[in-house]
Amino acid sequence: MDSRPNDETLLLAVAERDMGAFRTLYERHAGWLAIRLARRCNDRDLVADAIQDTFVAVWQKPRGFRGDGDIAAWLWGIAIRRLVSRLRTRGVAAAVFENAGVAPAAEDQVLLSVEYGDIGQALARLSPEMRAVIQVVVLDGLSAKEAAQLLHVPVSSVKTRLYRAKAHLRAALAEGPS
Amino acid sequence: MTGWHLDDDTLRRYVERTDSLAEGASAEQHLLSCEPCRARVTAAVTAAAGGIDFAAVWDRTRDAIEVPRPSVFERLLRGAGLPAQEARLVAVASAFRGVWLVGVAAVLVFAAFAAALGHARGVWLFLAVAPVVPCLVVASSYDPRMDPALEPELVTPYPVLRLILLRTIAVLALALPAVLLFGLVVPGETAFAWLLPAVGFVAVVLAASTWVSPLRSAIAVSSVWLAVIWLLAARTGSPDAVLQAPAQAGFLALAAASFSIFLLRRRQLRQLRPWR
Repeated sequence: MDSRPNDETLLLAVAERDMGAFRTLYERHAGWLAIRLARRCNDRDLVADAIQDTFVAVWQKPRGFRGDGDIAAWLWGIAIRRLVSRLRTRGVAAAVFENAGVAPAAEDQVLLSVEYGDIGQALARLSPEMRAVIQVVVLDGLSAKEAAQLLHVPVSSVKTRLYRAKAHLRAALAEGPS
Repeated sequence: MTGWHLDDDTLRRYVERTDSLAEGASAEQHLLSCEPCRARVTAAVTAAAGGIDFAAVWDRTRDAIEVPRPSVFERLLRGAGLPAQEARLVAVASAFRGVWLVGVAAVLVFAAFAAALGHARGVWLFLAVAPVVPCLVVASSYDPRMDPALEPELVTPYPVLRLILLRTIAVLALALPAVLLFGLVVPGETAFAWLLPAVGFVAVVLAASTWVSPLRSAIAVSSVWLAVIWLLAARTGSPDAVLQAPAQAGFLALAAASFSIFLLRRRQLRQLRPWR
């Protein structure tokens, strides 16, 4: 990664309609975007569609990046919203936020509590619905409306769940690790 | 940037989705700002079999950006519920070209403002021009000599009647509001008096195109109308004859009769070529 152009340079080249730079940008970012989207939607085709939409949007409006922050964060912002919009047109509940079959092994749990302390434990005790809301609203930065579309629940449910989840976390952190 | 990176186990659990929410969130936050770790995730994702076919997604992305965007008018038609293929077929007609529309609008603006300024001949000019504009644009929307999509249409089994009607409706939906808008600056009844004659002339052009080329019939209809207006203006000096109810009813009857003929003789439209 010494002589390779950075993302800003690539994006400027894309604005000049440079297909080679666009390809490089795609190869550099499609992979991690896809895996992050796949953690929110278990339909591979939908994720692939969202990746396609994301890069079409980048090609059409490369100057949408204002130069603040990381290009990766900008790309993620586009990708998650494209996924929401694909889910909305498809009208299916394809979102998953839990791997019910693969619970973390016991030693991983211990490692986790060492590494992340009380927060990790408190999060783990939330119900899957509440964790899903925390993930999309707090961690992904979606609005309540977008979260509602992604999770296929009413906006009001997103707001109540978020409120309750925060209350749970606050209580759990106040009383300390059990 | 911080020197801290995802260790291999964390990265593997992240890609395999066997981590917890807190660990995953921490990994995602790090990935946003760490290019080397992103590259490692991308490598792991690409190596994982049964995942997304990134080459195929790239091909589709490239195809999507290389397709030219449909014209404004075509997007309007699709918004109105017309299937994409039909919208393309309707919108490709010469009559929807920007140059054409600007030319037609310029003529109308000139006539309308001549009438609005109260010039004695202005009203006559508007009355002469307004009714023939719709029938000329309708004719040009499906005349073979002006149709850039003629060859594909000839070899495609598609009902000509449907194509002509679709284009006529589309072009009228565009032309009539425009003429109405310009007509608003014209004082008195003249502002709307052209509407029924226009409908009648469009129907006549449709009916006549079962015999001759639409453009030829449109030019003939326009010439007759211009001659009539010229004579009226020379004789009476007042456009009342055209504005009176009997004349308007006559145009309505003309429209109904012509449209019936058009529908009765629609089989003559089966091929576009005989007009040539």
